[in-house]
Amino acid sequence: MTTASETKWVGRSIRRREDPRLLVGQGTYIADLTLPGTTYVELVRSTHAHARIRKIDITKAEKHPGVVAILTGQEIAAAMKPIIIPAIRPNLGGELQVPTVYPLAIDKVNYVGHPIVAIVAENKYIAEDAAQLVEIEYDPLPVLLDPEEALKPDSPKIYEEWESNIIWKGTLGNGDVEKAFSEADYILSERFYGHRTGAAPMETRGMVAAYDNFTGLTLHINSQRPHILRMALSKIMNLPHDKVRVIAPKDVGGAFGTKAAIYREEFIVSYLAMKLKRPVKWIENRMESLMSIGQERDQIHYLEIAVRKDGKILGIKDRMIADSGDGSNGVYMGFVMPWLSAAYLTNAYDIPNVHIDLTCVVTNKPCLSPSRAFGEFPARFAMDYALHLVARELKLDPREVFKINIIKEFPYVSATGITHDSGDYVGAFNKLLEALDYDKVKQEQKEARKNGRLIGVGFAMGAEMSGLGSQVFVPMENQPGYGSATVKIDTYGMIQVLEGDSPQGQGHETTIAQAVADELGVNIEDIYISYGDTFNTPFASGTLGNRGASYTVSAAVLACRKLKRKMTKIAAHLLGIESDSEDFIFSNREVVWKKDTTKKVKIEDIADVAILAPTKLPQGMEAGLEATAYFEADIASMLSIGVHGAVVEVDPSTGGFKILRYVVVDDCGVPINPMLVRGQVHGGAVMGIGNALYEKYSFDESGQPLATTLMEYHMPSAADVPHIEMVEFNVPTPYTPLGTKGKGEGIPAPVPATLASAITDAIDRPGFKLLNLPLTPESIWKALNEI
Amino acid sequence: MNQLKELQKSSADGTKTIQVRVNGQIVEREVHIRMLLVDFLREELGLTGTHVGCSVEGRCGACTILLNGENVKSCLTLAVQADGANILTVEGLGTPDNLHPIQEGFWEKHGLQCGFCTPGMMMSAYNLLKVNPHPSSDEIREAIVGNLCRCTGYEHIIEAVQYAAERLSSMSKEEREKLLTY
Repeated sequence: MTTASETKWVGRSIRRREDPRLLVGQGTYIADLTLPGTTYVELVRSTHAHARIRKIDITKAEKHPGVVAILTGQEIAAAMKPIIIPAIRPNLGGELQVPTVYPLAIDKVNYVGHPIVAIVAENKYIAEDAAQLVEIEYDPLPVLLDPEEALKPDSPKIYEEWESNIIWKGTLGNGDVEKAFSEADYILSERFYGHRTGAAPMETRGMVAAYDNFTGLTLHINSQRPHILRMALSKIMNLPHDKVRVIAPKDVGGAFGTKAAIYREEFIVSYLAMKLKRPVKWIENRMESLMSIGQERDQIHYLEIAVRKDGKILGIKDRMIADSGDGSNGVYMGFVMPWLSAAYLTNAYDIPNVHIDLTCVVTNKPCLSPSRAFGEFPARFAMDYALHLVARELKLDPREVFKINIIKEFPYVSATGITHDSGDYVGAFNKLLEALDYDKVKQEQKEARKNGRLIGVGFAMGAEMSGLGSQVFVPMENQPGYGSATVKIDTYGMIQVLEGDSPQGQGHETTIAQAVADELGVNIEDIYISYGDTFNTPFASGTLGNRGASYTVSAAVLACRKLKRKMTKIAAHLLGIESDSEDFIFSNREVVWKKDTTKKVKIEDIADVAILAPTKLPQGMEAGLEATAYFEADIASMLSIGVHGAVVEVDPSTGGFKILRYVVVDDCGVPINPMLVRGQVHGGAVMGIGNALYEKYSFDESGQPLATTLMEYHMPSAADVPHIEMVEFNVPTPYTPLGTKGKGEGIPAPVPATLASAITDAIDRPGFKLLNLPLTPESIWKALNEI
Repeated sequence: MNQLKELQKSSADGTKTIQVRVNGQIVEREVHIRMLLVDFLREELGLTGTHVGCSVEGRCGACTILLNGENVKSCLTLAVQADGANILTVEGLGTPDNLHPIQEGFWEKHGLQCGFCTPGMMMSAYNLLKVNPHPSSDEIREAIVGNLCRCTGYEHIIEAVQYAAERLSSMSKEEREKLLTY
């Protein structure tokens, strides 16, 4: 195995190769793409959370000058299959009811923002004006917003043909939970609530579709998973697969999971392009975005923990209720996030006996759609904060409760079936205590208290998925988990890497090039990366769940190694020697014979022979220099750890608090580019702070969303957040060729328990608990005044 | 530098001819009076470096430009309001071969990930460094409070602005002024 210390590029904090174009304003984001003759779409959306559509009147809008076409639900439904097809339907066992979803509402709307009519016009100003002229009459229906209410037998049904409002129901776990509970010295039993919050990337969703009879449909879209979307478009729109091409633009302005689901608009815009034979463009506005994507979390946990008096957890029971919204978005349908939340509930702890009942409920809210820390945010809050509550109840030092429960031997398979590949979780935890100077903080806390200041320290852990192997991904989403990459050496010896994922700011052009440069002994300038186009990249599930550095980079490395075997054979042939592949090294753009380093061949000379002068190849060898590899780790799944700690000061008169220090100890296996890892950790922690403290997708009693601008959905600004300290604690995984693991996905998840436990430690009063997110001054003040 | 003409009159059909100096170049266009300045820059002039992140809210700051020396949200400004104005967008900051110190700072210190907020962020940093050559990290946080970033957690942005401040400070007064005037 190659280790990072022997290499030249991996492990170096080099500047990103994608940056220059972005710094001079020459990035190519989806909104920057306009094709000749482009028309613009505006969607008329429901103003009711639950209503029957009595009448849609488009006559005034049709007459508006500049309007090209108007599309309603009946027409588009007649042209295609319902959006929920097997290829994008999760497959998790349990009891499942599937809604029938068409791109536009036909006779009923299920949430405010549900698209009803599409207007196409010559420019977006006209489209917006014409949308104002569409008249829709509704018969309002009773609105369901509380998932526990929606579970009651006499509650109205969101989908009338269903017997209940449950979209998915099932159990996860293993072991003898009843025995564990009977042997416990103490049982903690609490209801935890993690509110509806998530990611709002700076760039909204957007797409441009074009169609002609010969090449078919081309959809340019800032999607995280172009290959999966291509399959879905083909199947649902009844188009041959070769007549559907999905292209993600070179630059995407953030996604964090929100651009991974398959939404209605993809079909609306594609259908209009086919119908009109003109390019059609739709760029989601911020209000639409906040009304319909990135809304996640939203879980209730009735969590019970059975512990021994020394703090060892013997078993847990959890009755989880998730608000899936209308359950309509393809791939996830509002229940894959809570399912994974349940699967990862035991986090970094060795808990042998687990029983989780998970019920996912449809309501009159938009469908849950993925958001960074996929599902895990409320689960980590419940689990890790519960550990702090256990420590308080048993009068134990919380660090001892954590330490006794942290997984110590690897690989480890949790009671819910999650494999932890490798690592040193206790080491990372100790490193955090050291970085926080825990004992000193506790001493300072006592001193401060004498002066009437309430200071507290808290911490939490995050065992973060680092890509998911096919063993997990196939049953979960009917998709492969492998990483894939093609490496081609071109006629001039330049190296092209093609990947089927499509990045959104993670830095693939840099990190993949760093790994490939080491393998082939070249400079990163010799490498160019292509991605996003489904017509020329290998099939891949997309950029999500930390797959990049674990699976995709590994596939690129394996493709290089395949190629190297052929290159060394050509080199040996050209040098007129008989030798094995192992007898060559790749360095300085040359293939060098170890036994006599004067014998070497330039990569471009090998390329020249393989591609342009195949007559000079060894007899019987196929021409060309390219290889594709599909990497699958020899283990079900890989995880990486992040441990968070915070010191806070609380003002008990207002409930307000200040974060005095925020520290993250982070393991990503071998960091390909440590600077980029730091960027991920800073950004993830701040997103977690935003989610935990400020951001909330709230609704009034009639289901009207109350956070539809960035004024109301308060994402933290630079002035809102503390300095984030990061400590590297990297343990290479033995399961990838370079020891690398993905990093980015799970970072927000430990934030709420870190802050809640620090606040609780600062208040330090019996009975004080923070069981509901977000952690606002109001909620803290209320909790203080309720005890 | 060429002088801008006197302010233009609007015509009866809802359009107006405007003249602006953008990144040193004077341009004249007939625009609809309701056209937003950000659309004028992006669609009429093809300067797509200025981004729309929040659509006419002014909160995200991705569309921040400099207009007569002020940081302005170009999604909250009409193109006709810019008639006669002197505008700097990201495209006028530096070139790929000759990056502005602010651009260098963002590159060196990994001040961007998806890059969507970056042009607006850099325009806010520009005006900060103009008036405050040695900003503290708190002063930088305050200066970019109108520019949201979802990727970086702001840490590397602050380092980027500090890097730019140091680079600019090491220059002569003339060089520095040249880089902070448009």
